Amino acid sequence: MHRNRRLGVHMISGLFLGLLLFLFDSPAGGQSLDELHKLALKEGGTLNCYCTLAVVNAQKIFPEFEKRFPGIKVNHVDLTADQLAARAVAEARGGRTIGDVIQGSLENVIQVFEQKLLLEKLPPEAAAYPAELKGSYWVSNNMVFIIAAWNTGLVQKGDEPKSFEDFADPKWKGKLIAEPRDLELLMGLGRYKYKSDEKAIEVLKKIAVNNVEFHKGHSELAQFLLAGQGAACLTCYSHHFPPQIKKGAPLAYLLSEGIGTINGTAVFKDSPHPNTAWLFARWAASEEGQKVYAVGGRTPAHPKVEPTEKIRPAKIYPIGVAEIKDWKKYEKTWKEIFKLR
Amino acid sequence: MSTIALPRTVKNTLPLLRDSALLVPLVGAGVLIYLAVLPLFMLLLGSFEVEVAPREFITSLKNYQDAYASEHTYSTFVNSLIFAGGSSLLTFTLGTVLAWLVERTNTPLRVIFYPMAVIPLILPGVLEAIAWIFLLSPKFGYINVALMSLFGLARPPFNAFTLPGMIWIHSVGQVPLAFLMMVAAFKSMDPSLEESAMMSGASTWQTLRRITLRMLMPTSASVLLILFVRTLESFETPALIGIPARIYVYTSEIYLAFSEYPPNYGRGAALAVGLLILSALGVWLYTRSTREGKRFQTVTGKAFRPRQFDLGPWRWVGFTFLLVYFVGVVLLPFLVMLWASFLPFFAAPGWKSLEILSLDNYRYLYGFRPFWDAMWNSIVLALLTATVGMVLTSLIAWVVYKSRLPGSWILDFLAFVPITVPGIVLGMALIMFYVAFPIPVYGTIWVLLIAYVTRYIPYGMRSASGAILQIHSELEEAAGTSGASWWQTFWRVTLPLLRPGFAAGWIYICIVSFREFSTSVLLATGDSRVLSILLFNMFEQGQVTVVAAIGIVMIFTLVAIVAVFQKLSGRVGIQT
Repeated sequence: MHRNRRLGVHMISGLFLGLLLFLFDSPAGGQSLDELHKLALKEGGTLNCYCTLAVVNAQKIFPEFEKRFPGIKVNHVDLTADQLAARAVAEARGGRTIGDVIQGSLENVIQVFEQKLLLEKLPPEAAAYPAELKGSYWVSNNMVFIIAAWNTGLVQKGDEPKSFEDFADPKWKGKLIAEPRDLELLMGLGRYKYKSDEKAIEVLKKIAVNNVEFHKGHSELAQFLLAGQGAACLTCYSHHFPPQIKKGAPLAYLLSEGIGTINGTAVFKDSPHPNTAWLFARWAASEEGQKVYAVGGRTPAHPKVEPTEKIRPAKIYPIGVAEIKDWKKYEKTWKEIFKLR
Repeated sequence: MSTIALPRTVKNTLPLLRDSALLVPLVGAGVLIYLAVLPLFMLLLGSFEVEVAPREFITSLKNYQDAYASEHTYSTFVNSLIFAGGSSLLTFTLGTVLAWLVERTNTPLRVIFYPMAVIPLILPGVLEAIAWIFLLSPKFGYINVALMSLFGLARPPFNAFTLPGMIWIHSVGQVPLAFLMMVAAFKSMDPSLEESAMMSGASTWQTLRRITLRMLMPTSASVLLILFVRTLESFETPALIGIPARIYVYTSEIYLAFSEYPPNYGRGAALAVGLLILSALGVWLYTRSTREGKRFQTVTGKAFRPRQFDLGPWRWVGFTFLLVYFVGVVLLPFLVMLWASFLPFFAAPGWKSLEILSLDNYRYLYGFRPFWDAMWNSIVLALLTATVGMVLTSLIAWVVYKSRLPGSWILDFLAFVPITVPGIVLGMALIMFYVAFPIPVYGTIWVLLIAYVTRYIPYGMRSASGAILQIHSELEEAAGTSGASWWQTFWRVTLPLLRPGFAAGWIYICIVSFREFSTSVLLATGDSRVLSILLFNMFEQGQVTVVAAIGIVMIFTLVAIVAVFQKLSGRVGIQT
């Protein structure tokens, strides 16, 4: 009995100590952003952001963050997500962590997590997000959509595609272009639209009969579509189109359905500025931060914040952790369907 | 005492070592070893490493199995050889003819073609490949459309998306390199042999074929070698033309290995080792072919000015060739870029698109702060890399070809190694090495300088060694007998004589480091962002016409830098 009571006391004090450690040792969770700001200032006021944001977006977003939290300066390392991941891993192999937060394609965030470099903790703001837009260490920050698009000079009115499977029609033979690495199309159709990989493979095989021409890079793809290298694009990015169409480019795109790829935010476990990192992660996930991302030209992931441009499809097939786990399998099938290397 | 038996080579070396200033080239050689061995070591190590747990590796041959035991190995190998062989021959031929016409003949208006010849080098590779797709695409290429409507053709005469298309597009981008190196060689040629041949009754063509071209052997071998390896390791054309055409070469395979998920660095490294072996073979063949350096020494103590060949009426043929080349190869892609830079989006030339022309892209750049920061970083880095790189490689070339130190060929090989290390592998090697380095260079532009110098040593080395082989030892020996120290001789005799090769190398390195991308991508940060990174970033976001405007600004900036450099180097060096 006596021993049991002592054990109980030890357990309670242990739990209490654990709670204390959790609150004070790790970057604070329950604080307000302003309290966190004060702690961040003590770390020197720098945030090393390993973020895939384009310079044009970053120019609008980071100054807002710096204005909201005076004294904090964002050092933006702007590369593609795979390059950011490669860099973070190489730095870790060299014995140092330099990044505070990473923001990029989910598969690359997962890759960095698998190297045991990320903090397994979610900001309280993540509570507002649906389950498919967060994990145990990442929360979606913005999304990129793979959609179908066409050149209005080459596709007659009435002939426009209404869905991805319309491209299986032989009338598209020799007229389609796509990006060779967009196997998310297969994942999205298989897992969400048809809920059957076999059906997705069957549809894509019919599309493949139309001799899809593959070009590296989504930017190139949009330009080639505009120039007429293809009449329609199977896997373009929706955010490439509104700016061009506004300037009068003969383009249109399908917004009834699209594949949603997730850009996630996570904090480095050994971040040199842990409170600053946490401050940014919380702000970026908050409604306030997400509105700034929307104005900055990105598609916010927060359910209550709308994008400023028409780039979010009505039906989204999101590529999440479960799909990424099966990446290799899907990649193999995708390459077989289109005879890619 | 003097009877101690020494190996001959050491005996020959000893008098040189008496001069303490000799430490300078030896330090240069040391720096080279330091710069080249690190990436080589990391590449080899990486090719044998297989990750079994986070950042835990075992040594295995699996990467090599993955890389070379695939059903595609043979076709990739054959494609790479055809691509590299075809491109280097075409590039070399075009570059040499251009250099000869501009430098050694009386072709009319040749002087104005000189600066224009360098332009294709300045256009960022990705933009140039896109410009050519816009010209030669079978579906919408401007040249195809024009020829089809002009001659009533049923089918487009050209197709960019083929192996010949790849060879053409890659070659025209490389011609300036061959041109610069061959101009340097033509410039430093003693014409006495040519004159004797002509006086003995040889025609212009006989002299050209039997004397001029033979004397140019080492430089030609050097240029061909570098073009071959440069093509093997080039990435833009294989990616932009090869992937849609489904023609895969080594670099597209390396690219595919790196863009797998998760990236397969091991397989990429194993493939890169293949490139390394092919290059080593090239260097070995080259060293063999130029072993008897004396045969090629064309700069001697006699005063000379390379003579101009009188082409007679043929000079108009030469002029037509220059004109067709510059309109077809330099002007057209440049005009595509210039045209695009005034547009809000790519549109074919025509009355309709005239209405949307504006200066908006330039206005946008003018007020875009990151552009100016990146521009500054790029200019500083290009100037520093070219200068450091050329001084370093001139010293090394001297050690390799003049010092008679045993084993100095190893330096020549080491100076070639960086060309075979993919940019991303070099970037990762430098990160791992410098991230915890006591001197805090990581995250600054200095680590970029180290990376660029490492990457471009091979190019500097080819320019410097081609030129140093042409200098007859009698000049240095004369300086030595007149009491000059090694340093004085190097500074006042060798370096000025090297001027054409030095200048060619300097211009080339300056231009390529201005547009370097694949290593910068991993090493640049917010404050040390360079123009190529900004350009890539904006390109990825679809702002292609703004990128075209950046390309045009880059061309004018670099032409200005090159012009100033030529003016300065003309003043300090000897006049040839």
